[in-house]
Amino acid sequence: MTKTIKTDVLVIGGGLSGCMAAINAADHGAKVAIMEKSHTERSGAAGTGNDHFWFWDPEIHHRRGWTIPDMVRDISFDGEYGKTKGGLMDQELLEIVAEGTKEAVDNLESWGIQFRYDEIYPWNLQYEAPEGEKRFRIVPQFQSEWDTLNYDGRDIKRRLTEQCLKRGVEIYNRVSGTGLLIVDGKVVGATGVNMRTGEFHVFKAKAVVMATGMDQMRLFRAQSGDWFNSQSPPYITGDGEAMALRAGAEVFILQAGKSRNAGFQYFRNLSRSSGTATTCYPAGRFVNSEGEVMIRHPAVREPLRKRREEVERSIAEGKTPFYLDLTDASEEEIRYVEWSYGHEGLCWVILEIMKDLGLDFRKDAFELELEPTGKLSGGFLALYIDTDCHTNLPGLYACSPVQFAGEVAAPTYVVLGWRSGEKAAEYAQEAAEPTLDAKQVESEERRVTAPLNAEDGHPWQEVNKEINNIMEEYKGYVAGWNLPREDAEVSRAGLENCIAQLEKLKAAEMKAEDPHELVRCNEVMNLIDIGIMMVKAALEPEQHERGIWFLGRQVEGEPEFRKTPIVIKYPSKGDA
Amino acid sequence: MPPVFNEKCTACFKCVEICPGDVLREGDGKPKVAYPDECWHCGACMMDCPADAVRLDLPLWMRPVTKRVK
Repeated sequence: MTKTIKTDVLVIGGGLSGCMAAINAADHGAKVAIMEKSHTERSGAAGTGNDHFWFWDPEIHHRRGWTIPDMVRDISFDGEYGKTKGGLMDQELLEIVAEGTKEAVDNLESWGIQFRYDEIYPWNLQYEAPEGEKRFRIVPQFQSEWDTLNYDGRDIKRRLTEQCLKRGVEIYNRVSGTGLLIVDGKVVGATGVNMRTGEFHVFKAKAVVMATGMDQMRLFRAQSGDWFNSQSPPYITGDGEAMALRAGAEVFILQAGKSRNAGFQYFRNLSRSSGTATTCYPAGRFVNSEGEVMIRHPAVREPLRKRREEVERSIAEGKTPFYLDLTDASEEEIRYVEWSYGHEGLCWVILEIMKDLGLDFRKDAFELELEPTGKLSGGFLALYIDTDCHTNLPGLYACSPVQFAGEVAAPTYVVLGWRSGEKAAEYAQEAAEPTLDAKQVESEERRVTAPLNAEDGHPWQEVNKEINNIMEEYKGYVAGWNLPREDAEVSRAGLENCIAQLEKLKAAEMKAEDPHELVRCNEVMNLIDIGIMMVKAALEPEQHERGIWFLGRQVEGEPEFRKTPIVIKYPSKGDA
Repeated sequence: MPPVFNEKCTACFKCVEICPGDVLREGDGKPKVAYPDECWHCGACMMDCPADAVRLDLPLWMRPVTKRVK
């Protein structure tokens, strides 16, 4: 049961970036198809909305003497947010993102998403607009300047889906990408499998845009203890990165790290972060158990040092737990927060849950989950692209995830999606008609559908749990590199052992009872490939020069994002 | 077990169409939660329900812990 589709540009992943890529590729004359594991109306990290958008307005910000380089420098080094990142971002890409944000807002607005209002509030940036013209609700958000918009983004994915369909983009919902098709070193399409019918799909395309999302969820044990209690969609399992790795693409890897301070980002029990950060502006206060305000608001320019000091002091004094507390806010502020929650992904549903549980921001404080100092966090892998969103593989473009530009989330994906669509369409115009390698397609179908045909085997959950165990070991060994030199060999042996365990797991047979489970099995196989790559990269000594591990290095003086990372090609033995 | 469908459900199956986690299937007269352990509790089913027939029954261990201040 195989379906073959011929197109110019294939976009894998129909989230924010994938839809933007598809729309712009179509606007540049390409025939476009989207392969989407979920459903484009509600899929991806912005599936149930987005309420904040980092942007640079040529009029408003120019008048305030705030330039794009200022903005990029701020988010990379200077702003409260930048200080935590220490230059770990690709500033050239960020500049492209910043430049593209206003056009993105204009486009989104023309597609029916409201960005401007009759009424703005005292906590929004006050700026002059011509008589009768609506204004943006601009807020400061971790940055040194007022450069984030609050907006009605709950249905952003529905609007983007409409725009795709309007342009004749063919959307294949519930089809999960499984492999890239390569002929003579060029990408000529991809395969996928339908999660409901099991139908195998073969896409023949002149160019492919990888837009499968910003995370490798379920690679590490979830902080909440449950894979599906998470901020990012637990269905984003690095499928695109694994497909690209197997095809020989270069990747960027941020290794596991160790936190230096105690902190918090989630509600206790409910692993969701935007409700305790950006989206509670301007009324969310962080208070300790005595009700003392530690942080007036996380998203405003409160010095990070002060925040750390306050948190550490309260912990030392035993004034825990901490709470998100809006009870001293004005009614107008609370209404603003409720409006923001109503449009931010996973936050609208919190309001609904609050109704059912009889909770109210006016009366109730929400406990936060404390994270201890020295907590080990997992690593991250992304495709490495040039400023045209091209990977090192001819015909393969990418917009999400890509090397560390994604820290400003939605704007990065909207702008890079848009750009990758244009560049892929241009490439497709010049590219020759692709010819598939029938044997490759056949063997890929066999590989992918094996768990469905297996008589016996492990369920995906079992294998996924063991991946988590191995990756927990890896986290410990990577942190081991922080130890004195004589301990380095211990870590090395440990890491090699992790690889051996992952390879063994890769060979284990899995069993899927239905096409839905088949896709989960494939996700697990992808996680194994990503895990192997991440651990192999950790064995490269050159990168171990910082507290945060990444394929780059800190040069003398100012840390900077390294443009030529160490590249370990899959499935080599780890040669740099 | 989230989500829960009440008697207002018209069996239009919009929720089944859009569920981000593919956890819902068309059931007899109303949707059924085919893969309850994989629900992300994102609320998309509730958001898009034209009949106001869905509520999310958050498991106890996922419920926010709160303190009444006022």
